[in-house]
Amino acid sequence: MSEKVRIIEKDKIPSDANMIFGFPDVGLVGVIATSHLISELNLVEVAYMDSKLLPPLIVLHEGLPHSPIRVFGNNQLLLAISETAIATDTLDPIVNSLVDWGKKKKAKTIISLSGIPVQDRQDIQKPKVFAAASTLESLKLIKEKGVEVLTEGYIVGPQAIILQNCAKTQFPALTLFAQCFLNYPDPEAAAEVLKGLNLITGLKVDVSKLLEKGEDIRLRARDIMKRTQQELTKMKKSQEYDLPLYVS
Amino acid sequence: MTSKKKQFIFDTIDEYFEGFEDWAEQLQERLAQRHSWNQRACTIEPLRHMEITPLEVKITVDLPHTEEKNVKITQMNEKTIEISAKIKKSVKFDDFGITYRRGEFNMLQCRTRIPVPVNTDQMKTRFNKGILEIRLPRKSRKDS
Repeated sequence: MSEKVRIIEKDKIPSDANMIFGFPDVGLVGVIATSHLISELNLVEVAYMDSKLLPPLIVLHEGLPHSPIRVFGNNQLLLAISETAIATDTLDPIVNSLVDWGKKKKAKTIISLSGIPVQDRQDIQKPKVFAAASTLESLKLIKEKGVEVLTEGYIVGPQAIILQNCAKTQFPALTLFAQCFLNYPDPEAAAEVLKGLNLITGLKVDVSKLLEKGEDIRLRARDIMKRTQQELTKMKKSQEYDLPLYVS
Repeated sequence: MTSKKKQFIFDTIDEYFEGFEDWAEQLQERLAQRHSWNQRACTIEPLRHMEITPLEVKITVDLPHTEEKNVKITQMNEKTIEISAKIKKSVKFDDFGITYRRGEFNMLQCRTRIPVPVNTDQMKTRFNKGILEIRLPRKSRKDS
């Protein structure tokens, strides 16, 4: 783990848990989905990140200060969430530290939730969910569960770091992507990605409340979306629209 | 191809790329630093996105909690349009658990500067899932 980043544990960390990541990205799909998971499953904070790489800010909840990057959990699940946009130049050490910590805690699988931007998203009634994996076994699991594989393309951002880190050590990891808006918070896409998570993990997370609160979330998430947009531009997120040139 | 036509194509490409990336980046930074809640006017600034292609300018605006009939687009001048939409139910900071600020908001409103000449009289709009889409054809040389 990078010395610049410390994960402070507040509670006993379960082993053999699925570790889920929800970081600010296109459509804030991961953040919206993981926030819903926390409230729906009553997850509690089990660890938080302390790092000079983070901006000098705390998040107040019920009058108490919290790190913007925290890990929630129960005895089967760990969930890492960031409540602030992460500067592009610090994304690599921050995400890698959390992934390494998850591996050390013997997580079963690392699953990141995100979106894949599509043009004219407003015309899509039900966003499709795709997945990519770090190993052949994880890829097999995705196919067995009936989730469509993202076969070709570029991935930019936290998901790229997670998959690369896990592929290097052949650690099982996968990313679920729902079709989403590039620049607007997308609770519908978050609901679809959670349905994909239910399929993969056997969780039974109800998304009806998330869909009911969709318009409130869109209004509330504007500020974090705006700051995330800035970082997405810096990390050249638009490359995800490009066609890769495969040379065998 | 005549040299006049060639010149026109090169001019268009130049116009498109010249400093546009810088401008977009600066604008985005400025927007991110600005408050999106205007307590005096009781308005909230919506998220918006602009795409400029050689033929048109496409603007989308995220307008949650609004209805198409309450969306108003006003041309302020040749280069600026204002978009406003009444929110179905007013929103307070209290609704988001913010107790140290006071304010009630009943409108989403923003002004957008269009960086290239467009034909506003040929504007096309549509509204779906709370997303307003405005398409403005770019003015060609002969229009201007």
